[in-house]
Amino acid sequence: MGQQPIQQHLYDYEIVKKFSAVAVIYSIVGFLVGVILALQLAFPDLNMNIPYITFGRLRPLHTSAVIFAFGGSVLFATSYYVVQRTCKVRLFSDFLSSFTFWGWNLVVVLVVITYPLGITQGKEYAEPIWPIDLLITVVWVAYFINFVGTLLRRKVEHIYVANWFYLAFILAVAMLHIVNNLAIPVSLTDSYPIFAGVQDAMVQWWYGHNAVGFFLTAAFLGLMYYFVPKQAERPVYSYRLSVVHFWALSFLYIWAGPHHLHYTALPDWASTLGATFSIMLLLPSWGGMINGIMTLSGAWHKLRTDPILRFCFVSLSFYGMSTFEGPMMSIKTVNALSHYTDWTIGHVHSGTLGWVAMISFAALYHMVPRLWGVTIYSTRLINFHFWLSTVGVVIYIVAMWISGIMQGLMWRQYDAFGNLSYSFAESVAAMHPYYIIRSIGGVVFLVGALVMAYNLVMTVRQSGNGSQRVAA
Amino acid sequence: MADLKDGKTTGHQWDEEEGFPLQEYNNPLPRWWLYSFYATVVWAVIYWVLYPAWPLADGFTKGVWEWSMYKELKQDLDAVAVKQKPFNDRLEKLSLKEIASDNALLQFAVSGGKAVFGDYCAPCHGGGGVGVKAGGFPTLADDDWLFGGDLETIRETITNGRSGQMPAHLKSAGGAFSDAQVDDLTQYVLSLSGKSKDAAAAARGDTLFRGEAACNSCHGDKGDGSLKGTLAGGALPPVGAPNLTDAIWLYGGDVQTVRESIAKGRTGHMPAWGNESASRKLSPLQIKQLTLYVHSLGGGK
Repeated sequence: MGQQPIQQHLYDYEIVKKFSAVAVIYSIVGFLVGVILALQLAFPDLNMNIPYITFGRLRPLHTSAVIFAFGGSVLFATSYYVVQRTCKVRLFSDFLSSFTFWGWNLVVVLVVITYPLGITQGKEYAEPIWPIDLLITVVWVAYFINFVGTLLRRKVEHIYVANWFYLAFILAVAMLHIVNNLAIPVSLTDSYPIFAGVQDAMVQWWYGHNAVGFFLTAAFLGLMYYFVPKQAERPVYSYRLSVVHFWALSFLYIWAGPHHLHYTALPDWASTLGATFSIMLLLPSWGGMINGIMTLSGAWHKLRTDPILRFCFVSLSFYGMSTFEGPMMSIKTVNALSHYTDWTIGHVHSGTLGWVAMISFAALYHMVPRLWGVTIYSTRLINFHFWLSTVGVVIYIVAMWISGIMQGLMWRQYDAFGNLSYSFAESVAAMHPYYIIRSIGGVVFLVGALVMAYNLVMTVRQSGNGSQRVAA
Repeated sequence: MADLKDGKTTGHQWDEEEGFPLQEYNNPLPRWWLYSFYATVVWAVIYWVLYPAWPLADGFTKGVWEWSMYKELKQDLDAVAVKQKPFNDRLEKLSLKEIASDNALLQFAVSGGKAVFGDYCAPCHGGGGVGVKAGGFPTLADDDWLFGGDLETIRETITNGRSGQMPAHLKSAGGAFSDAQVDDLTQYVLSLSGKSKDAAAAARGDTLFRGEAACNSCHGDKGDGSLKGTLAGGALPPVGAPNLTDAIWLYGGDVQTVRESIAKGRTGHMPAWGNESASRKLSPLQIKQLTLYVHSLGGGK
């Protein structure tokens, strides 16, 4: 250990390794449940009349597994890795690091037990019952203290941009989680939200949209700001742009939630604000893409040989596409067509598979060899994974675009007499082939994740005795 | 790869121990990016002026167009109502027969009936009324009827619903007959459509059919159902007993399914959609349209 640079020796990489390992496991579980659900939609008999695996119970398990178990573990791993390396100091507290790891995984285990049993509070992306919500809160506060404590003890003057995004994410998620879960418990498993009716719906979507905004966008931009320049070996394109788009994004995102409730009991004015702020959010969102792509722009030649950079580039492209699509879908007249259709599902997956998962894969491929002090087992397998992911996402979202737009058009189709041309069931039947195509896209993406898991396991096994030496 | 606007970095540096250190250029904000951002802000402000947008202490800014989604909905619904009113007025006044003889009006009624059918009837009777065999839901697109396929009977069926009851015959299911007797009855029923493979059993079943089991009291002496068939020359009660002599089966015409029907009996239930005492989901006008739609499916009499 003596031959390592002193700072490297100081860092707590064990916690990063742990979170990276569970991130890989949770990605496979989450994608697998997604594939099962896709197949259930195409062939409903696949729920086999077993209540625990019916769509209604598995769907929140899928979303929680991919967003909070996989995405969350990636964010813990990368934020702990990035904050140490950019602050030149060990994480604030080994105890808190460990506490966040075991606490977060306990949350995941409780979720996996309760959802299939039908024990949830029925709020989308916030299904855990109140005792689990309290546990999440405690873990999150520990995370906040650990992260800020590390920042405060930093040995460099300036705080690197990645850390602003991570901190904004931690703060915003704390606020969203607490407000959306304010409830009066009536038993160990049941509670009533303190908000009622449309106000509860509004709070729910203020939470729901900003879970996307801060969990899946701001936090992963933080990740992007570290791993893209590091992997490309290029300076970040523009510091100024990062400052401006950081504040614009943080300020504007928080208003956009009402666009989930167009043409409902939500008042028109709230709906308008949601739509207009979503439109104003477009360019601030693109700021991150521009900074990422322009950082890569001095290293185009490396894309030919480095599949990790390809992951970065394609994920930034999907990020740009879905952050364009989102504001468009928030416009009321577009939303009237897209809302409640598969278009929304396609949109979400272009963001989550295309952007979040692919930038996470890049980060894992970058970190794992460095954490275990070895070289990657197979670059060709990374490349294979890259193509599987890209093709899988494209199949998925194209199927959902066609199916969603068709569905929306069928619902609003009137005949010459002003009567609806299609029944709901007819639109469901029309979607069947696209549901099958979507499942194929999902399977391809899942196979990619399995290839990654194999590659990473083989990489780690090269370290033999599990020595913590880090490649220089 | 010289960078056009690189110039110098900000001078800050992070994570330099291993690999390329993190640095930042300080390129200006791309112009197109900045101006596009301003454009979205301008767009938003214009939107706020035109549409309801900002909450106030006692209400909200209404916008100069005074748009509201409820107004828009009402306009759309009113436009459809205006278009449909002349048709609906005549639909209400005229009898089913009169409507059926007016082609334009019939088309309108069938269009409305199809929409109602898709939401309320298709889940059991299938899209287009093709039936769902597994649940014993009759096909409405053929000319084989249980209670009758003329306009008034269809309306009656939709309005007040129907119940069909085939009793169980096997002893273990609460009936009065042995396994062997049920087998015989099965063979006889199959023989009515030329499908029996056991003439001796079918002959024994024939005796049971119009004897001890009294199947003919509902299905008729010839087994051709309560609608067409006769019992000793007289009409049968309208119980919806199916015609057993054709190739159309409510639950299925293979040996197992026919035996199952005889052994354990069947219960069919069509809900009442327009009955005062029932949930009354459909209006008389909707039922009229639905009647004409079902009648038009191919088998109307």
